[in-house]
Amino acid sequence: MVRWISPQEDDAAMLSELGISSVEELFRDIPKKARMKKIGLGAPLEEEEIATEVERLLSRNRPLADFDSFLGGGLYSRYSNAMVDGIIQRSEFYTAYTPYQPEASQGTLQSLFEFQSLWIELTNMEVANASLYDGATAMGEALLMASRLHEGRRFLVPASLFWERKSVLANYARGLGAEIVEIPWLPSTGQLDADFIEREAKKDCFGVLVEYPDSFGLLQESLPSLKPRIGNVPLVVSADPLSLALLEPPGSWGADIVVGEGQGFGAPLSYGGPLLGLMACRRAGVRQLPGRVVGATKDRDGRRAFTLTLQTREQHIRRSKATSNVCTNNSLVAIAFLVYATTLGPSGLRRVALSLSEKAHRLAEALKGVKGLRAPLFSSPFLTDFVVGVEGVKAGDFLAAMAKRGILAGTLLDDPRPAAKPLPFQGYLTSVDWRTDDKSIARYAKEAADEREGA
Amino acid sequence: MNQEVKAQGSAGASSFRQARYDEPLLWEIRPHNTAKLEEAPNIPPALQRKDPLRLPELTELEVARHFTRLSQMVFSIETNFYPLGSCTMKYNPRIGEVLARNPKATDMHPGQPDETAQGTLEMLYELEKALGKITGLPNISLQIAAGAHGEFVALLLTRAYFHDLGENRTEVLLPDTAHGTNPASAALAGFTTKEIPSKGGCVDLKALSEAISPQTAAFMLTNPNTAGLFEEEVLEIADRVHGSGAILYYDGANMNAILGKTNPGKMGFDVAHLNLHKTFATPHGGGGPGAGALCAGERLKDYLPVPRITKEGRRYRWSYDFPKSIGKVKTAYGNVGIDLRAYAFILAHGEEGLVRVTERSVLNSNYLGKKLGKRLPRPFKELVKHEFLLAGTPLKERGLKTLDLAKRLLDEGVHAPTIYFPHLVDEALMIEPPESESKRDVDAFYDAFIRALDDKDENIRDAPRNLSRSRVDEVLAAKEPRLSWRDLKGA
Repeated sequence: MVRWISPQEDDAAMLSELGISSVEELFRDIPKKARMKKIGLGAPLEEEEIATEVERLLSRNRPLADFDSFLGGGLYSRYSNAMVDGIIQRSEFYTAYTPYQPEASQGTLQSLFEFQSLWIELTNMEVANASLYDGATAMGEALLMASRLHEGRRFLVPASLFWERKSVLANYARGLGAEIVEIPWLPSTGQLDADFIEREAKKDCFGVLVEYPDSFGLLQESLPSLKPRIGNVPLVVSADPLSLALLEPPGSWGADIVVGEGQGFGAPLSYGGPLLGLMACRRAGVRQLPGRVVGATKDRDGRRAFTLTLQTREQHIRRSKATSNVCTNNSLVAIAFLVYATTLGPSGLRRVALSLSEKAHRLAEALKGVKGLRAPLFSSPFLTDFVVGVEGVKAGDFLAAMAKRGILAGTLLDDPRPAAKPLPFQGYLTSVDWRTDDKSIARYAKEAADEREGA
Repeated sequence: MNQEVKAQGSAGASSFRQARYDEPLLWEIRPHNTAKLEEAPNIPPALQRKDPLRLPELTELEVARHFTRLSQMVFSIETNFYPLGSCTMKYNPRIGEVLARNPKATDMHPGQPDETAQGTLEMLYELEKALGKITGLPNISLQIAAGAHGEFVALLLTRAYFHDLGENRTEVLLPDTAHGTNPASAALAGFTTKEIPSKGGCVDLKALSEAISPQTAAFMLTNPNTAGLFEEEVLEIADRVHGSGAILYYDGANMNAILGKTNPGKMGFDVAHLNLHKTFATPHGGGGPGAGALCAGERLKDYLPVPRITKEGRRYRWSYDFPKSIGKVKTAYGNVGIDLRAYAFILAHGEEGLVRVTERSVLNSNYLGKKLGKRLPRPFKELVKHEFLLAGTPLKERGLKTLDLAKRLLDEGVHAPTIYFPHLVDEALMIEPPESESKRDVDAFYDAFIRALDDKDENIRDAPRNLSRSRVDEVLAAKEPRLSWRDLKGA
């Protein structure tokens, strides 16, 4: 057995200090009827045996590198600079706990303070927390926060919002008994109906959620003028951090809360987790912010120091009156996010964003001529992701056929639950990743054409 | 010379020194660029970013030095004894880091076809099976980000269950020793909460019975509880709770204490969450990411989040066909990268090893509790599980607080225990020495604790002196919140 447990030979001395003869006596307080004889697991393994077994399992995977992959939709395969892993593999960072003792944890605290500062700069907001679990749960927390900032029973979300995010939101809204109202999109452009938003926001509504870009990959052109139309109803924006290298920050056009998914900055996909929930708000909302927050202060000698702060919002103090139940944040992924952005710098982030956007537009151009596909399906501007319409066959069948041809062409947008209502079009979301190049774009177009002609 | 240094107090009594840098913020290393940006293609003018991102352009060496220096100002398991109660700060095996970074684990998108992810699906399926055996609650969802997330989701299941039964149950009961996340999660799921006073550190069965009503949806319990005590009346508690039709919920934060000895299923719980980052040794990452599992018995299993893994022949796939499911609670399938580390931990230990994990952590805790109990009062009975409480009350006679002692402990190069929790113990210190700590290190912690306790009052009050910072003013931080570079700069 690997040596992760302290040696048994010390037991005797410890038992003798306790005046007992066997470890079993320490479990005499467990009632007999509740005792178990065996867990039913196998024999222990040595480290090389674990490595062999896990490698055997993983050899059954076919990673993205085996394909031409065009999967995206909020989670992205992006190149992560070597520096990121170099820093987060420092065991001082990854084997520490939440920095409850600030004097012993200045490194984690300053990193998280810088992470907050960075998310504020990307969004042009005023206050940020030290991260949440992921983009979808951050949206859920934003809904709850909006309900604390504003009276009302209804929360508006785009009808185009990815079904998974809708489902997470519905679960976060359950306890409030809030009603989630869907904002329709205009069929040809995919633009949200801004008149609908203005009208409905006045009716017992505690918040409006929009995405930037949205779940169809589109840029909503009404966003910069939206806030004046909904007045003091909180405007919640879910923004893609890399896109913010190119886009006017939501804080500059009236957002009250900005959330996002930060995985693409330095964290691998790992089949969907761990991820990184981002959250920022206006200063007026700070006491309603969920999660850990780091602040600057001084030590007794007047040196600058950092500490967890505003803890009277939190569960360990306020219990059932807390702004959130969050205890775990995603510190290490937040540090990866910070190191990624810092290593690239603003010019590097912009270069990466421009390059991906340019590839996505080349891809759209290449798919335009493919019979039986409509690419892009919507005419609105987009950055790295767009919807491809599929005519004559089911989008799911087309994607499966493409996978057999070595192309992971995209993600289905439909809710896969049997009782769910299907979207009013056959289509899927396609994207580009860091490996996408002219060759893979050409192969995608060719295989799609062959597949559709064969159909 | 030695004597003289000692006389200076805590800084001299311990040879420990933490790195101390006055490390600038990234923004203070070099000014950021301010030139207006050129227009980017394909973006409408109104949506174009005009001002550049305010972040300096640094060389890679500047970045490396900055974060390496910061890392040297952090207590961690690999540098310091870390007896933080209820946090289970055990050794995080290195092999987990290596396995989780295999490109066949990382270069996997959750949107790719199930046929291309058979290895990961098999791993998750096997992990679920193992956790089912460990908890006795065989229906598992790994779509859980962390412990508190698991509590919240379990209460959503409870809500859905009673909704289907047509019963209007609005209240969640919990002991006054419960983790703060318990009442917060209950409130988040839309329940009111009521705390049951403890007796001798354990649930007062009479008070619980009186509090249970037709409105009771669930009783949330940690066993062993946060006082480190095993709730010996757990079977009676289960009877009372079930007698009223309510759900009995197990907070698995303290699961390290009972592996192979008992399990939530045996104790009568309907649903349990596990913190894989505690019991199964995945790194805490300075606060996260963690990973959770939600384990359900018969009553709640149909409500678990989708998708769930199903096995047909030798093929694994995600199934969404669970009509009563509450849907999704998180992006994708959970923290799969963390799950892999936990799976490796379980494989490594096997049956025999996991039992030994529990035995040694409970032995460490009782041993250290017995020794330290000679110096500070232990509020309840002596037999504890994986953690124990001390009351810092005698410090008050010296004009000191538990907080002061905790800071003085840091000067010894050991992390402080959890302090001021649970609330029912005056000046509480909650100490958990996990199984990975040797007798030698437990004894060294004892010695450090005694040196700290026996130090001069002024040294304790003045601690810490050996760290990167002296006592940090947390009141000032909250009174004038400065939460970003912008706030500091007034920009």
